[in-house]
Amino acid sequence: MTAGALLQISGLTRQFGGFAAVQDVDVSVWPATIHSVIGPNGAGKTTFFRLLTGILRPSRGTVTFDGHDITGARPHVISRRGLAQSFQITNVFPRLTALESVQIAILARRRRSLDFASLHQRRVTAEASGLLKEVGLHQVADAQAQTLSHGDQRILEVTLALATSPRLLLLDEPTAGMSPFETERMVSLVTRLAKEHGLTVLLSEHDMDVVFGISDEITVLHRGRVVTHGPPEQVEADKDVIEVYLGGEE
Amino acid sequence: MHYRTRRTLQMPASADRTQPAATAAPSPPAIAREPESALRGLARRVGVIFGVPAAIVIILVILPSVLSPLPLLDVQSAVGLALFACATNLLVGYGGLVSFGQGAFYGTGAYVIALAWLHLHMSFWISFICAPFAGAAMAVAIGLVALRTRRLYFALLTLAFSQLVFVIAQQQVSFTGGANGVFGPMLPSFLINPDNAYYFTLGVAVLALLALYKITRSPFGMTLKAIRENPERAEALGVNVFRQQLLAFVFAGALCALAGGLFVVYDQSANPNLLSWTESGYPIFMAVIGGQFSFLGPALGALIYEQSRDVVLAQFSDSQLVFGLLLLLIVLAAPDGVLGRLTRGFALLARRWRAARPGRPGGPGPESAPRDAAHETAESER
Repeated sequence: MTAGALLQISGLTRQFGGFAAVQDVDVSVWPATIHSVIGPNGAGKTTFFRLLTGILRPSRGTVTFDGHDITGARPHVISRRGLAQSFQITNVFPRLTALESVQIAILARRRRSLDFASLHQRRVTAEASGLLKEVGLHQVADAQAQTLSHGDQRILEVTLALATSPRLLLLDEPTAGMSPFETERMVSLVTRLAKEHGLTVLLSEHDMDVVFGISDEITVLHRGRVVTHGPPEQVEADKDVIEVYLGGEE
Repeated sequence: MHYRTRRTLQMPASADRTQPAATAAPSPPAIAREPESALRGLARRVGVIFGVPAAIVIILVILPSVLSPLPLLDVQSAVGLALFACATNLLVGYGGLVSFGQGAFYGTGAYVIALAWLHLHMSFWISFICAPFAGAAMAVAIGLVALRTRRLYFALLTLAFSQLVFVIAQQQVSFTGGANGVFGPMLPSFLINPDNAYYFTLGVAVLALLALYKITRSPFGMTLKAIRENPERAEALGVNVFRQQLLAFVFAGALCALAGGLFVVYDQSANPNLLSWTESGYPIFMAVIGGQFSFLGPALGALIYEQSRDVVLAQFSDSQLVFGLLLLLIVLAAPDGVLGRLTRGFALLARRWRAARPGRPGGPGPESAPRDAAHETAESER
């Protein structure tokens, strides 16, 4: 059942004092799929993501990525294995330009962050420009990240993750705070990138239209536990999910 | 003092206009701009980036034939301090790492030369070359510990380490000369000549600053800036933040020790005060005054400090109070420092001047204006 999963999470638990934010979570993410994690506020989605990327260390459980145990590894190590993330709160380099920011990510991927010479600069610049063009940010390439619109910052955020050439892209609420127009732009970007780059995407999302529109697989979290998982049609019809969203404390 | 400050500052600007030849300096690898706007913009940028510094260097080179020995010695001291301040600013301005212990490396540079002369009778030239390596080695040791912490704790740890070195230097009287330090004829005959000493200091400082500039523009420097902006994000992209910052710390330590070596050329001595926390405060003070977001801002700060110090000492009984007020004024009114303000002022003037010339082909149309503004901010707020 679990053989062939790109990301295999079993028994993942994180306690904060006596409170278990994430408890015994099992998830398998299959290659080249878009997998969503949903749940009401406080369900533990962000904690769950932070455990995967190494920002938090799990109390129990294992995370296996592409056959390697990455449980509790440091963030830059996990990133180099090919698991890249985009953050829920816009998280860019405020006073670097969009182009510079993407260059940083490419340099990190090529292990060139410590170079004193600028021999490869031209190639890196070209690659960064190409990426910005691909996501439609080429017109603001020379603007500081902090001056970009919210939607553009979110897209830059995803572009940074993309620039590390990941095999799995983690998106924590990519459309949070976006206008319907910006949401549409982000959704089509993510689906297009997933298709063109053969990317596996694991995302958390509030917007149910987005989730049911693009996901191949959905996991529902509630109070740190998995309520159910499966393809969208199955989750949509699940009694427990309706309970969580309609009868819950929200 | 104000009058003096202003005069010093106008020097590079007016010199720039008379020095078009200086723009022939090699251009940095251009961080891609769109080709249509590139040519004119590049020429302007090369002019600003290399024209002004080249003009300053030319002025500094002809200075000995104009100035009498005593004021020349002040300038020589300022040049050494400029290197100290710019090296420290690699950490403070570019890396966002506020180290309050750079005096430890500065003093170590001076002590290496003085102690090698005192105990080993080593040639000045050899010990001068050893000084930055000693600074680097000490930076590895201190950095390995201090860089495990963040912000305030990092500042306090670097402070603690520098005080440790200070106390050792003061108490090992038989080896270091204690509070008196080491002094004596430790310079080779070539450097006894004031002009030679001045040119040697200038040459070393210019070469070191060129290397430092190159580094701030390299992938290493860019990534260091990214870490300053957002360490978590950089780490999530696969950057080893600790290693990156350690290398910056080592590099800054080596250059601070080199500046300490230049102090020996200036003063023929090494004393514990060079290692003290007040000494560690000067380069930060200079960086804030001159502008920590411009490459040469700290150097300008060093010049302002060194040139105004005598005046302030002569006029006021408490010079620290005056400098404290000056610092307060700058922090509140011009957080980007004197050079930051000047750059912005000139950019504004240049834009007005261009706008005031009607019918110029390729003038700033509605399209190019915002792009220009974004460009300018990106340039000044490094």
